[in-house]
Amino acid sequence: MKFLVSRFNPESDTSPYMQEFEVEVVRGMMLRDALLEIKRHDESFAFRHSCGEGVCGSDGVNVNGTNKLACITPISELTEPVEVRPFPGRPIIRDLVVDMTQFYQQYRAVKPWLVRDDPMPEQEILQSPEERDKLDGLYECILCGCCSTACPSFWWNPEKFHGPQALLTAWRFLADSRDQATDERLDALEGPYKLFRCHTIMNCVDVCPKGLNPTKAIGHIKTLMLKNAV
Amino acid sequence: MALNKRRFDALIIGAGGAGLNAAIQLANTDARVAVVSKVFPTRSHTVAAQGGVNAALANVLPDNWHWHMFDTVKGSDYLGDQDAIEFMCREAIPTVYELEHNGVPFSRLDDGKIYQRAFGGQSQDFGGAQAARTCAAADRTGHAILHALYQQNVRARTHFFDEYFAIDLIRDDEGAILGALVMEIETGEPLLIEAKATVLATGGCGQVYRTTSNAHINTGDGMAMALRAGIPLMDMEFFQFHPTGIAGRGMLITEGVRGEGGYLVNRDGERFMERYAPNAKDLASRDVVSRAIVTEVKEGRGCGPQADHVLLKVDHLGEEIVSKRLPGIRESGRIFAGVDAAHEPLPVFPTAHYVMGGIPTDPYGRVIVPQGTGEEVVPGLYAAGECACVSVHGANRLGGNSLLDILVFGRAAGLDVIENLQEHKNHRPMNESSVEAAMARLTRWDQKGEGISIRELRDEFRKTMEDHAGVFRTEEIMGEGVEKLKALRDRLPEVRLHDHSKVFNTARVEALELENLFDTGIAIAYSALMRKESRGAHSRPDYPDRDDTNWMKHSLYFREDDRMDYKPVRTKPLTVETFPPKARVY
Amino acid sequence: MSRKASGLKAWAIQRLTAIYIGLFALYLVAVLLFAAPVDFVAWKEWIGGPLVSVMLLLFIVSVLMHAWIGVRDILIDYVHPIAIRASLLGLVAMALVGMGLWAAQALILVRMA
Ligand SMILES: Cc1cc2nc3c(=O)[nH]c(=O)nc-3n(C[C@H](O)[C@H](O)[C@H](O)COP(=O)(O)OP(=O)(O)OC[C@H]3O[C@@H](n4cnc5c(N)ncnc54)[C@H](O)[C@@H]3O)c2cc1C
Ligand code: SF4
Repeated sequence: MKFLVSRFNPESDTSPYMQEFEVEVVRGMMLRDALLEIKRHDESFAFRHSCGEGVCGSDGVNVNGTNKLACITPISELTEPVEVRPFPGRPIIRDLVVDMTQFYQQYRAVKPWLVRDDPMPEQEILQSPEERDKLDGLYECILCGCCSTACPSFWWNPEKFHGPQALLTAWRFLADSRDQATDERLDALEGPYKLFRCHTIMNCVDVCPKGLNPTKAIGHIKTLMLKNAV
Repeated sequence: MALNKRRFDALIIGAGGAGLNAAIQLANTDARVAVVSKVFPTRSHTVAAQGGVNAALANVLPDNWHWHMFDTVKGSDYLGDQDAIEFMCREAIPTVYELEHNGVPFSRLDDGKIYQRAFGGQSQDFGGAQAARTCAAADRTGHAILHALYQQNVRARTHFFDEYFAIDLIRDDEGAILGALVMEIETGEPLLIEAKATVLATGGCGQVYRTTSNAHINTGDGMAMALRAGIPLMDMEFFQFHPTGIAGRGMLITEGVRGEGGYLVNRDGERFMERYAPNAKDLASRDVVSRAIVTEVKEGRGCGPQADHVLLKVDHLGEEIVSKRLPGIRESGRIFAGVDAAHEPLPVFPTAHYVMGGIPTDPYGRVIVPQGTGEEVVPGLYAAGECACVSVHGANRLGGNSLLDILVFGRAAGLDVIENLQEHKNHRPMNESSVEAAMARLTRWDQKGEGISIRELRDEFRKTMEDHAGVFRTEEIMGEGVEKLKALRDRLPEVRLHDHSKVFNTARVEALELENLFDTGIAIAYSALMRKESRGAHSRPDYPDRDDTNWMKHSLYFREDDRMDYKPVRTKPLTVETFPPKARVY
Repeated sequence: MSRKASGLKAWAIQRLTAIYIGLFALYLVAVLLFAAPVDFVAWKEWIGGPLVSVMLLLFIVSVLMHAWIGVRDILIDYVHPIAIRASLLGLVAMALVGMGLWAAQALILVRMA
């Protein structure tokens, strides 16, 4: 099967180019296996990967125009030639490896930790199964970055717009019955940039390999803000 | 060019559960702490842990830490140190509450408490009825824990060196550890990090085997660094093969599946575990279940066209339970086996999973080495997590005890570093020759010319490990294996890197990892060859019984001359009575 | 503009004005279809009616605000150099205010005529 892979080594190339590889496909092969096969032939080919089962979130790439996790993308679902590029909108470090600094900064900017003012109980903070259910579809995020790097608003304002990932995380804590920083969190999201650059384009929902829905989370935040304001 | 240097009070190598739980202790004080990780912290392999973490909270069934301790001692096949085990089982309870306070989204019971499920090897009342001790966040517990710990470190402003690769420890002539030489992967530049205390928390080494549940990054780097610093590795022959990896691929299907009521069948549809473990059945200890599966397949009762696996049935639990309690497993089954676990059984076979052995430490995380007739602490060096061996798992680890181990001893190490820093206010003087030696390890890969490729030697090595140091081990198979491995090791100097570029050169990283794989793999194979008994995960058809008279001792492997040494098991707990060795039946 | 007004408020106003514009447009279409004024006098009477003129005024204000927020969003997305964006925003503001005044004048003239 024919693969076209984006290559760029800043030490020798002035701009990225596509290189063709022929990979023998076996049944059950994932895109990551094919990339490893390519690396077998050319050890200078660089991409991030680790767990191989879609939980560490290292190997997000752009395949035939869509952001995906290579390790859980079956080759059989891809049309030939398979074009593999780095995430769009991020500075390329080498080949498929991009600089995700801004993505992580936005994540850290939403204060992604549980805030509790009450003294901690001796045992667990109680939470009903129904309250806990509200975190499903939120806490599973693996920080792969497929969503934010597919979001036009994030391409345009990566330094100011939090992006779908960070906003999903913001809602993960707002939705947690144990968290006691609702007002601070909402206040921090005010202004034209951090939250309100979202124009519900929904690319994030289409690409999330974990089936999460950042757009819905963003909607929840807006509704909660409105409720708190009136 | 001058080598860049940075100074910190403490250096933590590894940002998995162990490293992050050590870091958070330090970051909450005013100590300057650096955490180095070769991947972004949340990509560490703790993220893959599914089933949960053990603590005798008694939320579902009656429980107490003493029963937990009994199960752990028994599970370890009496090779675990009982003082460390008591410490861990007691600490388990506050540790899990602390995790919850730190934001981990545990699944909940109707009364609002943390959900606990049954796991293999758990009992009430010292070997009685099944207990439910494993605290779970669906089947994504490791993910939930790792992310919460990272988040807490972000809050505490821990200094992270993300995507920096630790090459070697730096030590002075007395053997004290002064820090480590690391390489920034993005630029390929070396950096010397000086620290008053260094904590190794680099995780496991499952990549020494071809089929493994471990990530690409689990290459035993910390263990190999310790070996090269003259420190032995303890109990390396005890490597756990998890009974249920997805056949042919190795991805893990958590024991939690059987805890929720799943069971194994052979080609005749027989629940064969009833024959091997009449009481515990599918929830017998992992070594027992793994051997049973391999035996079934060897004796021709395997499933599939090649008769090379068995089936794990979950579908009888119904779609609702499967999607509520085991959503990740359903997803993995779909992706990697093309099977919807809610409707069809999953094809499974044992997969290399966890190394019980590691860098010898005491319960404060301090690395200890034999000295004269006793032991002494290596100044400035700590180890915690899967790379360390306290030893709480002995010859076999119980499911849910590893997350516990990494958290309890990661925390203990962090706290001990804090105390240690009170006494050692200054950095020890740098030792240039040790820095040069570490630099030489890096520059060795600048050699040009034709040679063996990394891939070639690595593939051959991992295959040899699988064939000769796997589930069943005889003198003949292993003797041959050790010879083959040594021959491969002799070819290491002929390996050449073809790509010498600097920026994000993953081939260079893999080259450095290859050396680490060799050091840890050979430690496993060699220790296994020397232990002439069957105990826990170490199963020898030629010595089928446990031999408490000659072998109730820990093995220590030294890299220099592949030398072995042994030390006694610590059978005296802290406050309770010793659990004397008994036959281990489930 | 305060932080509060530029985030949630702007977003809420945009939704509200959108709803109003939609409803008013429906009303307009309905009137034109089923009860279209036959001549200029009828037109004048219809538009000059107190209810209709208030609705129309509201409509004009809504359209202007909606346009302002929409254009502002586009400029924030695409135009990053602050000076250029500020001047463009200024131009748009002037144009919108101009249109508003013009529309108000038309309304007043209709009522007076
Ligand atoms: C699939 C799977 C499921 C599991 N499920 C369970 C379970 O349900 N319950 C349970 O108790 N246990 C479980 N375990 C075991 C448990 O998850 C691991 O033993 C544990 O997470 C190891 O944690 P750690 O902190 O020691 O290492 P890791 O999480 O592996 O972290 C190692 C860290 O070291 C860093 N590192 C390594 N080498 C270098 C280097 N050279 N330079 C810089 N940084 C380096 C890595 O970047 C990483 O940050 C499971 C394991 C696997 C593989
Ligand atoms: S929301 Fe989904 S796509 Fe976005 S970072 Fe998280 S897991 Fe990845």
